[in-house]
Amino acid sequence: MTEPRTVAITGVGMVTPLGNDVESTWSALLNGESGVREIAGFDASGFPTRIAAEVKDLRAEEFVEDRKSLKYVTPFSLFALAAAEEAIRDAGVRPTRATAERWGLVSGSGMMTMEFDFLQRFQREFAVDGQIDLARLGAEGARFISSPEFARHRAVAGQALLHKRYGIRGYSANLHTACASGGQALGLAMRVVRSGQADFVLAGGYDTMINPIGLAGFCLLGAISTDNDRPSSASRPFDLTRNGFVLGEGAGFMILEDWQRARDRGAKIYAEIAGEGNSLSSYRITDSPPSGDGPIQAIRSALEDAGETVDSIDYLNAHGTSTPMNDLSETNAIKAVFGDRANDLAVSSTKSQIGHLIAAAGAVEGIICALAIQHSIAPMTANLRTPDPACNLDYVSQGCRPMQIDAALSNSFGFGGSNSCLIFRSPQRAENRGC
Amino acid sequence: MKNGVVITGYGCLTASGSDAAATWEAILAGESGIREVETWDSAGWPYRLAGEIKDYSPRDLISDRKLLKFITRQDVIGLNAVAQAVTHSGIIEHRDGLADPTSFNDRTGVFVGSPATKYRYQHDYLAPLANAAGDSREFGVRAMEEVHPMWLLRTLPNNVLAYVGIQYGFKGANANVTAHGVSGSQAIAEACRYLKDGAIDRAIVVGYDSASELEALPYYASVGLLSSQGLRPFDRSRDGTVLGEGAGALVLERWDAAERRGAKICGEVLGSSVVAEAAGVLSVREDGDGVSRAIRLALKDSGKRPDEIGMISAHANGSRVSDAGEARAFTEIFGASSIPVTGFKWSLGHTIAASGAIESVLALLCLAEGRVPGIANLEELSPECRGVKVSATQQTPRSSAGIVVSRGFAGLNSCIVLSSDA
Repeated sequence: MTEPRTVAITGVGMVTPLGNDVESTWSALLNGESGVREIAGFDASGFPTRIAAEVKDLRAEEFVEDRKSLKYVTPFSLFALAAAEEAIRDAGVRPTRATAERWGLVSGSGMMTMEFDFLQRFQREFAVDGQIDLARLGAEGARFISSPEFARHRAVAGQALLHKRYGIRGYSANLHTACASGGQALGLAMRVVRSGQADFVLAGGYDTMINPIGLAGFCLLGAISTDNDRPSSASRPFDLTRNGFVLGEGAGFMILEDWQRARDRGAKIYAEIAGEGNSLSSYRITDSPPSGDGPIQAIRSALEDAGETVDSIDYLNAHGTSTPMNDLSETNAIKAVFGDRANDLAVSSTKSQIGHLIAAAGAVEGIICALAIQHSIAPMTANLRTPDPACNLDYVSQGCRPMQIDAALSNSFGFGGSNSCLIFRSPQRAENRGC
Repeated sequence: MKNGVVITGYGCLTASGSDAAATWEAILAGESGIREVETWDSAGWPYRLAGEIKDYSPRDLISDRKLLKFITRQDVIGLNAVAQAVTHSGIIEHRDGLADPTSFNDRTGVFVGSPATKYRYQHDYLAPLANAAGDSREFGVRAMEEVHPMWLLRTLPNNVLAYVGIQYGFKGANANVTAHGVSGSQAIAEACRYLKDGAIDRAIVVGYDSASELEALPYYASVGLLSSQGLRPFDRSRDGTVLGEGAGALVLERWDAAERRGAKICGEVLGSSVVAEAAGVLSVREDGDGVSRAIRLALKDSGKRPDEIGMISAHANGSRVSDAGEARAFTEIFGASSIPVTGFKWSLGHTIAASGAIESVLALLCLAEGRVPGIANLEELSPECRGVKVSATQQTPRSSAGIVVSRGFAGLNSCIVLSSDA
């Protein structure tokens, strides 16, 4: 068997509620800004929650050149196209006829692919009184939907647009494990490059559930914050008064490539993606247990996979959703794994400012880890004002912290119990390890 | 085999049979599970054929009936196939005999090919929409009053993954692949990756789908993909596919782990591949580019030459373009040699996200029993598929290794290489 390759991150791209690219998102993050506002994309006045972290002013025409493709683009696949384009340009490499089969794509994507507008039209056409008229649907259904509309509704629509736009002809995967999707996608992509199955992988996540159906679903569950009067502090991970997460939307993509190849072509390397831990909590659909069981195995496997120990991790980007149980379970998982070192570790949840990007969260937060390493700054946990005695780690709550970061860890835990933990290493630490 | 991934259990639930044995017998007997839709009144529908599960009774299909409040029909189907495979493998008895099962559970993964979302999930919002009569604020108020609080959890695309974990206590690496027609095969491929990487010792793999839902029939028909006559792979008269429901599941183990527990080994997964064609969302390349690259990569991964492969389970979905592309790829790679080719969708319907998993189970049975069932409704081989050795009657595999081809939207193609050697 050939030696596993080291995997470099050579390009990053983001569309988030804080900004439509990496630079604006990162500077807003460091400035302590919040992306949470009253929902502007539709009338949310009838819902208990009327705030969310929406992407602002992203215009499809800027990212999709040909009008024909535009018909196949939904809001969330637009996020993917914009973030992927930034990542590809940043990496300074793209698939060519010669390399297309050695390029892969791994994405984590959302569960809501049908647009609300379509459902409204369907109701007016086939369910006037709320009950579906079967005879009418059978007779008229095929004429009701257009071909691009049918295509847009496929869970693989974004994956297909990315293949086509860049001519990616190699390995491809689309994953969905709710809020762990983006993290699991990066982890799988790392393994694909490591094993030599692809030389380059465009990897990331994209999502939005900020639409009337997505919002209704989370409101019905009681999982999201109803602090409508103070949007910017509604997401307050690890705070005693936390009362649910804040829905966000957006995308994050990275270019992952074989380290040696990246060095040979003189690429800028942000960080090494060095290890993945992937586990299942098998407890409840919406929570991990208070003990941290599930996340604990993910963190331990990631450390082992990266060949790191608890002593070498400098910064941990937490899943930190601001729900009562997640933040407790995650804190206890960190304590269980890091033991005495848990208190020395800088832990922060950037969801305090960006909101929860669901299937995109792990990808965006992985990029934040790479940027934290590059800029030697740990982002903060905003809005943590009332300490929770049960959540008593160093959450970097007093503003972002300049510090050298040689190894960072990113957690993502999903509804359904899937957990992803990723480890990122500084280029220097990677080189010192002899890659 | 010593570094390999072995199959120690399997099961399936299809339109043609309630388990692997029944499905296999039905296919051997030339029986099809495709009928006019029975789960809703489809009188007058131009496209009304489907491969629906017969006598669907959720209470009989899963052991934990309390779960039925939290999951949907396709989840029930998926969990039933998993229960069959887990029972077949004997892993639970083995685990329950261990002094400390913690490590066993932590090193058991779950890999799922999932259909992702469904149109019908949104039907719960039709009444509030009608009652709100176009008033967006009123819609929010009514949705909160009229829709079940658990709606979001019932519709999670990773419910089968989650409940396999919760039911059996497995906590290892996992993935939920939502890649249309290759989901089931890719779940097998990704499980093999994590097994070979040493992240886990065994994996439950399942592909499930209830593709023939209410809105899917007119919508798939609108883009020209359905047949109103029947699914007739490689036949001159083929004119489209027929959607179906079903699930297939396998228990895969690292060979050393299976040996250690003295498991009965049913076969081996020798290699796998997934490739994209970069052609668009719905397009399929007519030249079979993706299929032939997927087969070549999977053969390379398995260390097998084309002449060592004994049979092909083709995607064979009855599409004019897809079947012809597959035929080109087969003749290109395997030459004019006499490799038996078959498919199963003529009997089961196209179960999309489940198909690769179900067909891997059936291909394993072909190899183990030395019988390649015929495509019973084949009348006249299409000139576009010339050179492909398909038959309406049974053939014999020329070795104990075979390949399973799956294709899906987004130009995705996958190939699994299996062997029945134990």
